[in-house]
Amino acid sequence: MTAALRAELRRVTSTRLWWALLIPVAVLAAVVNLFGGLLGDAVGDSGGDLPVLLASVAFTLTLVAVFAGVYGAVIAAGEFRHRTVTTTYLTAGGRGRVLVGKLAAAAGVGGLYAAAAAVVGTAAGLAGQRGGRLPGLPELLAVAAIGVAVAALWGVIGAGLGTLLANQVGALVALLVYLQVGELVLAAVLNNSGSPAAARLTPYLPGNAGDVAIYDLPAHALAGPAFGDQVVEQLAGVTAPPPWWGALAVLAGWATLVALVASAVADRRDIT
Amino acid sequence: MTARVGGGSGRITAHDLTKRFGAVAAVSGLTFTVEPGQVTGFLGPNGSGKTTTLRMILGLVTPTSGEARIDGVRWAELDAPGRVVGAVLEAQGFHPGRTGRAHLRVCAAALGVPDARVEEVLELVGLVDAAGRGVGGWSLGMKQRLALAGALLGDPRVLVLDEPGNGLDPEGIAWLRAFLRGFAAHGRTVLVSSHLLAEVEQGVDQLIVIDAGRCVYQGGLEELRGRRGARVLVACPDPVRLAGALAAAGFGEIDTLPDGRLAVAGADAARVGDVALAAGVAVHGLVEERMDLERMFLQLTAGGR
Repeated sequence: MTAALRAELRRVTSTRLWWALLIPVAVLAAVVNLFGGLLGDAVGDSGGDLPVLLASVAFTLTLVAVFAGVYGAVIAAGEFRHRTVTTTYLTAGGRGRVLVGKLAAAAGVGGLYAAAAAVVGTAAGLAGQRGGRLPGLPELLAVAAIGVAVAALWGVIGAGLGTLLANQVGALVALLVYLQVGELVLAAVLNNSGSPAAARLTPYLPGNAGDVAIYDLPAHALAGPAFGDQVVEQLAGVTAPPPWWGALAVLAGWATLVALVASAVADRRDIT
Repeated sequence: MTARVGGGSGRITAHDLTKRFGAVAAVSGLTFTVEPGQVTGFLGPNGSGKTTTLRMILGLVTPTSGEARIDGVRWAELDAPGRVVGAVLEAQGFHPGRTGRAHLRVCAAALGVPDARVEEVLELVGLVDAAGRGVGGWSLGMKQRLALAGALLGDPRVLVLDEPGNGLDPEGIAWLRAFLRGFAAHGRTVLVSSHLLAEVEQGVDQLIVIDAGRCVYQGGLEELRGRRGARVLVACPDPVRLAGALAAAGFGEIDTLPDGRLAVAGADAARVGDVALAAGVAVHGLVEERMDLERMFLQLTAGGR
């Protein structure tokens, strides 16, 4: 297994993709949090006392998840696009190892994106904010850590999807269309179905689960324990959100499901 | 480096190997053995099931029925299959943005062989100078050599090559032929496919010929040649007398070619010369006709259609 991980690490670092996607992540983090910092400044000037930066870092981290997913999908489906999968399977001595290596690589790079976004975002936010209240370091670290976990899981989901579909365009379209459109429509249908039970399913959709996990702590920090859940509901577009660890577990469940299906399909696939 | 490498023999066996893709039978009941210490040619027209067969041997395609084994076990059951079997397959690609050296280093890590081995195989296939450049800009022949380098990384005792001549220049083909000979001479197994008999004719000891997914010939190249008999073409000023003498010596099949030469089937040049001398007939030219294996191959593979 160590050999498979070492090989995957070399695969990741020997092409440009990992840092090519890191650039927009960093730019996005800088822009969003510079704005967040300025907003925090304005809130401070108007006599408010809210750690706005915590929220803008959290918002950034919800955006990073999709980059992690895209990275995973591209590296996993890229094996089929460039027809490298033959060599990969022949040298690895087992398809399971290849999949685990890919999932680990995508999780690692996804987590790296989130960590980078948190660092760049915090720096940009601090640069933009001269006054007003700043978030505490423990809160900031907690949100960053949850963001890293969410991005890592989205990396896993992306790599699983890429392996499952074995088609780069297909995997990317499926991932992006689901996250940007599909889940919004699904959540809207569930929320407006008139059935409270159906509406309560919304935080268990994968995209929402990640958002809920990331927004939970900042929302409660900003709005207080009484209104925190309502803020999460507004931000993530869900009904009755679970706490961050519950949402993280839900997302981990989705990632496991995708990985298992990908494994079953990959094991039976003829590489012609 | 002498004799056997590692544990098993390196023998490849296929037993009743069958693969259907939907309604299409790509390979039907193929049974053969590939022995170590020899170069075995795997011959068949395009679309005859060669690639599918090789991929079944390598665990990339699951047979519909039957099985292929290496060292008596299926590919997936081998310990470190990548170090037992090296393969150069047709649809084996490279990431265009990855350098040749980086590609091999990925393979080396997966196989668990030291990075020094990467430089060794680069040297072996003559790619040291190009190794630092992205494979996207490489010629087909260079990619073919890189694939071979990758196949050799794990120092395997079995080598499987699918149409390795594609993209190689004549020099490269000659080099490859000599290389495979040397590889087999160390007691290792070489199975090399081609759709062109001429390409493997000079380099192989054994032949497996398939057509439409079925085996139509399996055996030595020489036996295949001998089966149809060679011809000797004789130019002589008195063909009638020579023909009589040859007939008397027991050569049954004697034809006259349009250019006036005699074509003597099932003979060798020395025997024909002796007969001519004994009969006192002058001989102006004596050619042993190289059996046209290509035509024979075409006959074999046209049988199914």
